[in-house]
Amino acid sequence: MGAVSAKYRRFARIAWGCAVRRVTFRPCDTTFKQDLKDHLLAPIAVRTPRLVKPASVGLEVVAWLVILTTVWSGYTVVKSGLNLYVYGTCNKENAESCTLGAEACAIPDQTPTFWGSIAEFDVIGAFGNEFSSLGETISQIPTRMQNWDATEYLPANETYLTTFDEAKPTALEVIDPGCQFCRQLFANIEEAGFENEYNLTYVPYPIEGEDGYKFPNSLLVTQYLEALRVSPVDDGAGTPVDWQVLERIFTGETDNGVPFQSRINGLDTDAATALLDGWLTEFGLDADEVATIKSVAASDEVADIIASNKELVEDEIHTVKVPTIIFDGRRHDGLVDVDGLK
Amino acid sequence: MFGRHNSAPRTPERAASARASRTAPHGRAARAGDIATDRLADFAYLADTEIYLDAACQSLRPAPVIRAVTDYYETYNACGGRVKYAWGKKVDEQVAATRRAVLSLLGLSARTHAVSFTLNTTYGINLLLQQLPQGRYSRIITSRIEHNSVFLPTITAARRLGIDRVVLDRAPDGALEYSPTMLDGALVVVSAASNIDGRQLTNLTELVADAHQRGGTVILDAAQAMAHGSALLRATGADAICFSAHKMYGASLGVVVSTLDLLASLDISFIGGGMVSDVRETSFDLVTGDPGSLLEPGLQAWGEIIALGAAVSWMGTVRPGGQSPTAHVTQMSERLFDGLAAIPGLTLVNTTAAPVISMYAPGQDSHRLAVFLSQSGIMARSGYFCAHHYLKDHLALPPLLRLSLGLHTTESDIDRTSAALARLLKGLS
Repeated sequence: MGAVSAKYRRFARIAWGCAVRRVTFRPCDTTFKQDLKDHLLAPIAVRTPRLVKPASVGLEVVAWLVILTTVWSGYTVVKSGLNLYVYGTCNKENAESCTLGAEACAIPDQTPTFWGSIAEFDVIGAFGNEFSSLGETISQIPTRMQNWDATEYLPANETYLTTFDEAKPTALEVIDPGCQFCRQLFANIEEAGFENEYNLTYVPYPIEGEDGYKFPNSLLVTQYLEALRVSPVDDGAGTPVDWQVLERIFTGETDNGVPFQSRINGLDTDAATALLDGWLTEFGLDADEVATIKSVAASDEVADIIASNKELVEDEIHTVKVPTIIFDGRRHDGLVDVDGLK
Repeated sequence: MFGRHNSAPRTPERAASARASRTAPHGRAARAGDIATDRLADFAYLADTEIYLDAACQSLRPAPVIRAVTDYYETYNACGGRVKYAWGKKVDEQVAATRRAVLSLLGLSARTHAVSFTLNTTYGINLLLQQLPQGRYSRIITSRIEHNSVFLPTITAARRLGIDRVVLDRAPDGALEYSPTMLDGALVVVSAASNIDGRQLTNLTELVADAHQRGGTVILDAAQAMAHGSALLRATGADAICFSAHKMYGASLGVVVSTLDLLASLDISFIGGGMVSDVRETSFDLVTGDPGSLLEPGLQAWGEIIALGAAVSWMGTVRPGGQSPTAHVTQMSERLFDGLAAIPGLTLVNTTAAPVISMYAPGQDSHRLAVFLSQSGIMARSGYFCAHHYLKDHLALPPLLRLSLGLHTTESDIDRTSAALARLLKGLS
């Protein structure tokens, strides 16, 4: 009120002075609170004195709510700012809920939220998780200033969109085949001619949700991609078959004009499997080769690779957004536009 | 939101115009929505919805006093005591008249006493105590109920003079409880009337006589006594009487009425122009023949001094409700005391009625009560009234509420205040 009215500016000055003294562990003017409260209650006292006591209690409650809200808001602003700086999203537990930062599919944090823990009467857990999360964010601040070398985060059996050229730097993207922003990134990459400047590879990372995977068939597609990497097939096209599958998902459409990514996201497992098998055949694999790929996809070897990639993304790259792309010494969290890729 | 008492200021001229429409100086024809107050016409500038009950801090100024100071500023705004032109001469005449009026009010003579003007009572007491000579007094005596204007300077004076300071109790009737031997070579500094409960120094004359008999000196704080109890101070023989014009219907001004002997004994160190007749490189000559100037360094508050003369004159002629001022104040005091005593949950510090009544309500904050009363247009003081030692330190009382009335106070003011306070306490409990 003091900020907008000269009438209350004196109180604003006194309040500010008191706040400064209290945060420096000094006593402040003890009559200020009482003076202000009395002035607020005076009109009630004149009209209905018996309401002064409950109104006074109400004022205290409101005051405490304001204080707690202010403190919490301040903390939230600081935490959000740190998250935005470190992770490119103000809400690292659910990146999609933050309108600041680049668009992306969020990698949800499975840790119970603060209010979720409170609802479970786990107060210690609530505060513990909250401060642990903040601590983790703070510990990641240096990563924003480090030089990101994509070659340090290469997955097993990496493949490149174009023929590997030692003269070109390496770029690494973390993608979920079902994420629409990964599809958009692929389009931007093609428009920017990014693959001509970089050896582009990828880490497939199917995003896990509370009940299974965020995109139902992302794991299946990832299994096929990793199987194609474990058992590469030379179809003479130059582009590795796994990249051809990705290309089809990210750029192809059904006969009805529906993007294949959307189509796959909506299919059941059997239908998605049949679609993938059909593509492999289309890409020149014979029946035996398709069978081999299917078998490898379901193998423990591929499961281990997928688990290893999960660790790579979560514990080494530490991103909470998909797509994430590393190139030119930087880690870009979320969708990068065409100009950003040039 | 902050009260209905923020009405537009009414000048004496507007008040006079309003009075012209009334049937009597202290009564008026009722108009629809008016609250009957029977207030003195000289306080007609006070809105009917406003009740001022902090006269112990400073009294309201009647119209003639306001006119006197305004007249000075508007028609002969000059320095006194140092100029030859007409305005200055008029100032000198008015100031001299005020000095005479003060002496006359106290029944004193210019042959034995002088009047000095200061900032306020506190300033006057300090001017005396801090310039008393070393070795003259064996101890300083004061009482527990004193205002800080007495209590604090007696502390510092005792330290400076290197003598003991004795704090005595007052009886419920206000008498200082002492034994005559205590007064041997003592400087006694006490109030003639308390600003807490109005109790007067009932053994004042006896105290002065005993002190003088034993080589002592008596300085009186008459700030609360001059307005409505100056009779107590007449011909007491006190060596100095300090009071405030702003508590006796004058403008903001302090006054010291001192014996010539006391003034002559001072070791003058607080000095400035107006006190000297000549100055050399390392010495000066004090003015002679004007002992009052010994406590008047620098320019004085000429307008306020002139206004004091008007106040003394006004107090000599005013007849509130046809009564003498003393009778009016006594009547109002008793009405207020009776009204307050009947309020459940209110504890009065006073044991008897007085123009100053202090109280508290256990469980209620007096500052809050003052704010709430203010919302109803009632101006009352809260806190310790510069009597921290007695009220807070000695009696361990919470902050008090104080109501102090004056010649502007009406029965309606009293009744409305009692009713408002009763309603508040009933609702807050």
